Amino acid sequence: MKPITTLASAALAAVAGVPLLATPATAATICFAFQDLETEFWVAGHTAITQTLEEEGHTVIERNANEDANRQLEQVRDCVAQGVDGIIIIPQDGESAVTIVKEAQENDVPIAVFNRPPSDLSRGIIVVADNETIAEQAVDFLVEQALAEAEDGQTLQPLILVGDLGDPNAVGRKNGFYNAIEKHADRFETPIEVATEWDAATALANLEAAVTANPEIDLIFTSSDFLFPTIRSVLEPRGMWQPRGEPGHVLLGGLDGDATACQLIKEGFVDATGVQDLYFEADAALTAILEAIEQGEYQPNEVIEDPGFALTADNLGEREMDMWGCVLLAEGFLDR
Amino acid sequence: MNEASTTAVGTAHRDGATTVAPSRAGLVGERLRRRAADLLLSDYFILYVSLAYFIILIPFLPTLSNPANLANILSNMWPLLVVAVGQTFVLTIGGIDLSQGSVVGLASVVGAALLATAGSEAVMANAPLWGLVLSEQGGPLAGLPRGLAIGILAMLLTGLLIGALNGVSVAYLDMPPFMVTLVGLIVIGAFAIWLTQSENIRPLPDSYVQLGKGQIVSVYLGEQAEPRIPRREIHAFITYPMLIAVGVALAAHLLLSRSVFGRYVYAVGSNRRAAEISGVPVKRVIVAVFMISALCAAAGAILYSARLEAGRPTLGEGAFLLDVIGAVVIGGTSLFGGKGKIIWTCFGVLFFVLLSNTLNLMNLSSFHIDMVKGGVILAAAMLDVWRTRLLRERTT
Repeated sequence: MKPITTLASAALAAVAGVPLLATPATAATICFAFQDLETEFWVAGHTAITQTLEEEGHTVIERNANEDANRQLEQVRDCVAQGVDGIIIIPQDGESAVTIVKEAQENDVPIAVFNRPPSDLSRGIIVVADNETIAEQAVDFLVEQALAEAEDGQTLQPLILVGDLGDPNAVGRKNGFYNAIEKHADRFETPIEVATEWDAATALANLEAAVTANPEIDLIFTSSDFLFPTIRSVLEPRGMWQPRGEPGHVLLGGLDGDATACQLIKEGFVDATGVQDLYFEADAALTAILEAIEQGEYQPNEVIEDPGFALTADNLGEREMDMWGCVLLAEGFLDR
Repeated sequence: MNEASTTAVGTAHRDGATTVAPSRAGLVGERLRRRAADLLLSDYFILYVSLAYFIILIPFLPTLSNPANLANILSNMWPLLVVAVGQTFVLTIGGIDLSQGSVVGLASVVGAALLATAGSEAVMANAPLWGLVLSEQGGPLAGLPRGLAIGILAMLLTGLLIGALNGVSVAYLDMPPFMVTLVGLIVIGAFAIWLTQSENIRPLPDSYVQLGKGQIVSVYLGEQAEPRIPRREIHAFITYPMLIAVGVALAAHLLLSRSVFGRYVYAVGSNRRAAEISGVPVKRVIVAVFMISALCAAAGAILYSARLEAGRPTLGEGAFLLDVIGAVVIGGTSLFGGKGKIIWTCFGVLFFVLLSNTLNLMNLSSFHIDMVKGGVILAAAMLDVWRTRLLRERTT
């Protein structure tokens, strides 16, 4: 099994006849139910999954729930009624994921959950990044930089943009942030928490309020890279959006590894981001679901963890092309 | 259709008078037009449309008629029907209830907070409900002998209270229903989200979940070829949500069509001033109607939260109101008030769910599906204008 590294290489491999996935003897019909395609991560994940399946000769039935958990449940039921062979889902949240996985398995349809895990990990094929470790690695770098720049005995003010805590990914990222900060608890003030609910408008309003009330912020960690433009719109008017080495630079980190983050690290505005290996995750979900279909296994239960890594200003040169966002950036994603 | 517009042959009499005798073609045309008008004005018009739509699409969407899909259509109907029944009352008095979606969200949070069998501090620690109502052991009613009944009662009371506030604002403060319920939609929705800080509450007791997805009678069609019948080939036939929805619809039908209160509702919707002069307690009727609407929304919350196995503050957001109002209007309940029947709403919900299902089977994107739904609702509103005009012409 050859891992998918980029869409381009996937297409190339398909043309060259290299099998990318454990394809069942007959083409399968896969229902791909996603909650929305709001961020670069989901768009890239969606493209990787659908294109790879179609290139392998499978039929993909796509369902977009538009961020409505009830609609997603009904769509999955529709898919079951249509007699699909398997389901890949990006759920609205961890709670609805539990219900939907149960629904699919009770109807003898194997199901894989992509990237946003159910709050109960015991059922279904669950592909999930080790959010806590990845976030901790990224924040470790920010902390190291902050302490290096700080005067002796100076305490620093960190801020975290927290995701929707109904999403286990958000909980893991928050925990990773605190793990890193608590290693040097004596040097940091109590972190300011800004709720985002994974919504840019909510993040903007809450971050504006937080930065107005606490203008002396030394370090910001966003639980998702898609909020970097929002952070910029708050920091820039206050003179706090400066590249590394310039006075007023606020140490900035995130998690996802999208193209915007890659560009901002190169430009020096962002210092580190935790990277989810999107192509590994897509590949793992597809392989597992297709194997289950081939083996006639209706209720496969497996947790596949993406270890991820942190791309930082220091390791940018050597690990850049391991980050999916940098690959997309190189392909001109942000120019489209 | 009046005589003058028909094709006719004139016969001159000695006294100079002319008798207009319709031609054969004219008579046939007139009869067809009358049939079409009868069909359009029939209580079962949307049922006929649904059946025709279903039959026409079967050759193109073979999955449409498979038992699993039919069971699916029915299961999607029940919660929507319960909420739409309440909206029917409000539209019939010439009002609108936009707060139904937020009532669904709040009632689901109230019920789940009381009934949850466990709680997670990691997730709920910042929620005002945490520590006050909800703890690691769940809600205060978890495991109590009559906990389920009390929890459900609390959900329904939440609905009744909101409905009473809406009704009093409209009836006694003379505020427009659109504005009152729009504010309700925003404020109540925000309150539900604040209570849980946007988190969902689970796990819920099995007895509660059964109300949303429990099957009473399931069927398997065909010969048993293997020892184990695949679960996906066993189809729900009679379910708890079905019984609840049919019960609610039946009670509402009797209330609207067989009671003095029902006649009051039509009177208020037809002409509020005339109803007042006739001695109808208009203000009390309006308050009661809004209470019924919110009560139905709370009952819908039971079915929605039970099928999703979680209390969700965001239940009822998004395109939910489009579905509810759309289904009622498609059924034939007039947006101008004075005209509405529960049976119409049943058929409207059936058509709307069938429409959603077929659009899904066509693999359209959610954006296209919403556009088509919006178009169909607009067509239904135009049809309502047409039907009202036709009815007026017939009665004059």
